[in-house]
Amino acid sequence: MPDTASIVIHVVDDDTAFRRSLAFLLDSVGWRVATHASADDFLVACPELPPDLGCLVLDIRMPSMSGLELQQTLRSRGWSVPIVFMTGHGDIELAVQAMKLGASDFLEKPFKDQAMLDAVSAAVRRGSAERTEAAQRASARATLDKLSPREHEVARLVALGHPNKVVARELEISEKTVHIHRQHVMEKAGISSAAELARLMLRADPKALDEG
Amino acid sequence: MPAKVAHTSWRKHRRAAWLGRLVGLALLACLPAHAGMDDSAETVRIGVLAFRGAETTVSEWSPMLDRLSRSRADRRFELLKLDHDGLRSAVADRRVDFVITNPGHYVELEAEFGISRILTLAGSSTVSPDQAIGSAVVVRRDRTDLQSLEDLRGKSLAIVGREGFGGFQIVWGELSSRGIDPDRDLSALRSVGLPMDGVLDAVERADVDAGVVRACLLESMGSRSANFRVLSPQTPSAFPCTTSTRLYPDWPMAALRHTSPALAREVAIALLSATEGTGPGWSVPADYQSVHELFRTLEIGPYTYLREPTLTDLAERYWPWLLGVLALMASGALYTVHVEHLVHKRTAALRAALAERETLEAGIRAAQEQADHLSRLSMLGELSGTLAHELNQPLATIGNYAASLSRRVDNGRLDDDAVRQATHEITCEAERAAAILSRIRAFARKRTAKRERFRPAQVAAEAIALFRGMLAQAPRVELIDHLAEDRTVEADPLQIQQVLLNLLKNAYDASRDQPAERRALQLGMTAVADGICLWVRDNGPGLDEAARRHLFEPFFTTKPDGLGLGLSICKTIAEAHGGRLTATPPETGPGMIFTLTLPDHA
Repeated sequence: MPDTASIVIHVVDDDTAFRRSLAFLLDSVGWRVATHASADDFLVACPELPPDLGCLVLDIRMPSMSGLELQQTLRSRGWSVPIVFMTGHGDIELAVQAMKLGASDFLEKPFKDQAMLDAVSAAVRRGSAERTEAAQRASARATLDKLSPREHEVARLVALGHPNKVVARELEISEKTVHIHRQHVMEKAGISSAAELARLMLRADPKALDEG
Repeated sequence: MPAKVAHTSWRKHRRAAWLGRLVGLALLACLPAHAGMDDSAETVRIGVLAFRGAETTVSEWSPMLDRLSRSRADRRFELLKLDHDGLRSAVADRRVDFVITNPGHYVELEAEFGISRILTLAGSSTVSPDQAIGSAVVVRRDRTDLQSLEDLRGKSLAIVGREGFGGFQIVWGELSSRGIDPDRDLSALRSVGLPMDGVLDAVERADVDAGVVRACLLESMGSRSANFRVLSPQTPSAFPCTTSTRLYPDWPMAALRHTSPALAREVAIALLSATEGTGPGWSVPADYQSVHELFRTLEIGPYTYLREPTLTDLAERYWPWLLGVLALMASGALYTVHVEHLVHKRTAALRAALAERETLEAGIRAAQEQADHLSRLSMLGELSGTLAHELNQPLATIGNYAASLSRRVDNGRLDDDAVRQATHEITCEAERAAAILSRIRAFARKRTAKRERFRPAQVAAEAIALFRGMLAQAPRVELIDHLAEDRTVEADPLQIQQVLLNLLKNAYDASRDQPAERRALQLGMTAVADGICLWVRDNGPGLDEAARRHLFEPFFTTKPDGLGLGLSICKTIAEAHGGRLTATPPETGPGMIFTLTLPDHA
């Protein structure tokens, strides 16, 4: 169970009674909940991506802007938000579309309370995982940004497991120079092994060590 | 019409002598010829005006018949002796081929039946056929106070009869030309009838002041004539007698219209070539213009129409018409009686027919209600997907609260506020679900139409609520109410709601593929003369002319899954209320406007 106290679940549904009941359900297990009567209301309440946003629970059909339209709006803003869609009877096509666009899950109304709570938990986990990953990537990138271009070239070949001799031949420099660059990389990144260097580079960019 | 002609010619009396001598011989001469004739021989009939008895007439005209028979062996000539009216009807019925009659009568028959003269009698070589008939007005010789026709004013006059040509009409003409109206200016006009001698008798006895006889009668009476004197005496040249009047042509013989010209020519030639002494002589036809003029002056005969009509005249003249009118009235009365009878008879039949019609109409009404019901059911079917969604809302809500409560019991988060909130919401949502179901049930239930007075705004609002309730993503419906606050209409509110719901559903279907801003609908209410308009507008692509034409026909649909019954039933509902349902494109902008017009009183 994620840390429910520091996270807010946002519910968007045009049906007031249902919206309140969902908040009541989420509150039963300790989630903090914010409710919105429409997609527009949500966008007004959250002009920036709230850092404590756990996930969105969205009705897929709503007047004015539908759940799907809100999903697209958020994507276009670059917000990475896990979404649990609630669909009506026969809305499978819409749900599939939502999943393709990266929705976390969808539930057909009426749904079992456990199913909703599980879906919300999963979405929040996914959201926090994504957030952790993003933070690590940012940190790794910041570390690697401190390297000079030549150091970067040396680091990539070292991370790939090449000995200094191979690196020197590859880069057409002396083995001694490779050794000095390697020491600087380890010092700047605060690490001591080629394996650690490889992890750092993959964290910054999953494709950093691909051939070519 | 003259009923009897008292005309006698002076010639007839004179002729009687020599005719008498010839009669026997002539009859003997012609009888064998007739007897030996083939029955199939063509018979030519000559109608002659007889005024002195059949016997005399036969003897008088026999020589002529004899002559004609001899001229043509293959024809049999027959004489019909008839009085004035008899001769007229014989002419009318074409029972005769030729007619011999007095000039006055001839003129009448000429005008009425188109007979045409072929010969005129020429009794004597000394008298011109054109100047052969005149009248003498006689008084007793001792009446020296009476000299001319003008002296007759205020006096009494004996005549044979009003219809006599020589016996009255000629004198009438003379008096008329002197400004004397016999009916008005004479003290008495006495008809004494035939024979003409009666006139002389009356004058002689001083029963009357004067009398009218044909010219030459006095001259034929020998010594008796000395007792009389002629008023306004004239003795025209080539006329052997004294007359008080101008002279008119002698009797004509005329052919009828159907008589063949060849036969007429034959007869004319045969009679013209008759030698003296073989019967009355004939000459070429005279000019009867003078007779026409006389009749025109007197406004009698063919000129009767000139007279100022009296009621009797009119009755006489138009008796066939009168008879016709009477017959019409009689038949009208009969018809009325007949109609009365029919009315009684048919009322019963009508009652039976009405009863039958009521049964039929009840059947139709039942079928109509069934169709309404089907339409509602089909609409329900179309809406079922979204109805399920609609019901899901309260069910899911209730489920959430119930599940939450047990969860809170388990994790110790159940406080009084939570229980209160949950139970309250559960109650509300259960009611909401029940309301949705009852709306659907009311909508789907079979029912009979009723009339009640209600505010259209209320029904419109309910229709919108129902519409929105039935659709998960119902578009915005703008209610445009131009009606007075208290405006009501008399109709079946559920049926009107059904129409509005149908129109809203159609409008929704028409615009569901449009971008969000064009999906909004409008429901308007406007007052018109004698009623109100309820209209629904969408902003969809609209309908082309062809689609608009068939829009209200059953089973016409533009929807892939539509039954095509909705609008046709809406139209029926509109018409059942005395209103109508129309589809028009808006004056500006896209889409369609469907307008339900309802009269104040259905």
